[in-house]
Amino acid sequence: MSMLENIPELLGIRETWVESGGVHWLLSDALNVRDVARTMNECHGRFITITATELPEKSGFRLEYHWDLDGQLLGFTFLLTGNQIESIYDLCEAVDWIEREIHEGFALDFLGREYEPLLLREGEKPGVNLHEEVV
Amino acid sequence: MSYKIPMGPYHPGLEEPYKLDMICEGETVCDAKLRIGFNFRGIEHLAETRNYIQVIALMERVCGICSNIHTLTLCQAMEKLTGHTPPPRAQYIRVVMAELERLHSHVLWAGIAAKLMGFKTMFMTCFELREKVMDVLQAISGNRVNYSMNRIGGVNRDIEDPLAVLAMVEALEREMVRTVIPIFTTSSTARSRCAGIGVLTHERALSCGVVGPNARASGVGQDLRRAAPYAAYGEMEFDVPVQNDGDVRARLLVRALEIMESCRILRQALTKLPPGELHTGDRKIVFSTGTATARVEAPRGEVMYSVSWKENARNPSRVHVRTPTFVNMPAIRYMVMGARLADTPLIQASIDPCYSCTDR
Repeated sequence: MSMLENIPELLGIRETWVESGGVHWLLSDALNVRDVARTMNECHGRFITITATELPEKSGFRLEYHWDLDGQLLGFTFLLTGNQIESIYDLCEAVDWIEREIHEGFALDFLGREYEPLLLREGEKPGVNLHEEVV
Repeated sequence: MSYKIPMGPYHPGLEEPYKLDMICEGETVCDAKLRIGFNFRGIEHLAETRNYIQVIALMERVCGICSNIHTLTLCQAMEKLTGHTPPPRAQYIRVVMAELERLHSHVLWAGIAAKLMGFKTMFMTCFELREKVMDVLQAISGNRVNYSMNRIGGVNRDIEDPLAVLAMVEALEREMVRTVIPIFTTSSTARSRCAGIGVLTHERALSCGVVGPNARASGVGQDLRRAAPYAAYGEMEFDVPVQNDGDVRARLLVRALEIMESCRILRQALTKLPPGELHTGDRKIVFSTGTATARVEAPRGEVMYSVSWKENARNPSRVHVRTPTFVNMPAIRYMVMGARLADTPLIQASIDPCYSCTDR
């Protein structure tokens, strides 16, 4: 069994990889972002980025976490109805700047970490990428 | 007693703005904090207001040096959503443009590095060579910086006389072999200013997710042209230079060797350029609903675009860009820790940072 095929089992889920748009996606409601980060560390995956998208009609956010595993691009999707998700910064150092960027762009909170300004200046309001300004 | 030295945002060694606050004891840097965002333009947000033609022109302006790479990656992502696969000639032309851009970027970097080493003659030599690379880019595209070569399903312009371009590339290669490569690999000035400074260990390169020549100089051998080939890279023979020392000299050597590999790829692409169409024609571009992702090995490392579109929508619903410097820059903190203050401009320059890309 390849490392890729092994990952759903390591995460304890039944779903398998779906390839779409150049990415191997593992789509499951049972995924926990910290478990994913731990598993990718075990597999020596290289963290690439998180893509945050604001869903229509203020229904929440979609976060897509991407890792590289020997040239294969892996994706894990998390749908948020609120504006919070656990940080994985303590598990994956490379996530630092993108969590800070998403916090500033979409006013999302990554729980369990502190922020310093990245793209914005001290005192500026987060949420500059939202479709409407945060009130 | 420790004290803080703020370097930037008007930087002594580099022309773009960013800030490094260094905590020093005597002449030694103990820790550092980076501040970016001085070029933040909200380009990703702006992309949601542009159609599929306008968004290419917009993303070409994320970066002045690797502008072609941005449109290439964006077009590759949009091609997955539209089902337009570029014809073979277009794939080869994409390789030629990408490698010329790598040459231009690496030679520009070599010039700046030489200047920071105090080796001004070398700076002038590199910039003269860079002009010649830009002449080739202009001969192909009509432009020296933003080339407008990529479109969904192919390229906008042909290389009508590949042998003439090949002659220009060979002249460049001869000059590189005669001056740039030997000086950077053997001169005592380069060695004394670069060896053993700004070390990024293999472990730290992995934990920071560093990419491109910076990763390869710390023994991380990944190159997307080899690991996940795109365009016509699957048909090219080339080596991926890797060094293990992780210092400024290793980063210098990797880029110097990559210049030679780029010339090798260019020779193959120009001599084997297949006949045929440049693009998939002028049939209507129709997007299917979904998200597509593309990755390309830019001169500074992996660029990734994630593009979301809804069927019948005029504009993308999301364009996310992950540039190489965005992941390379945090590693500067580890490179300067323990370094002498006087070495820090060169250490910072050694990652070949692009703040314009990073801030977007």
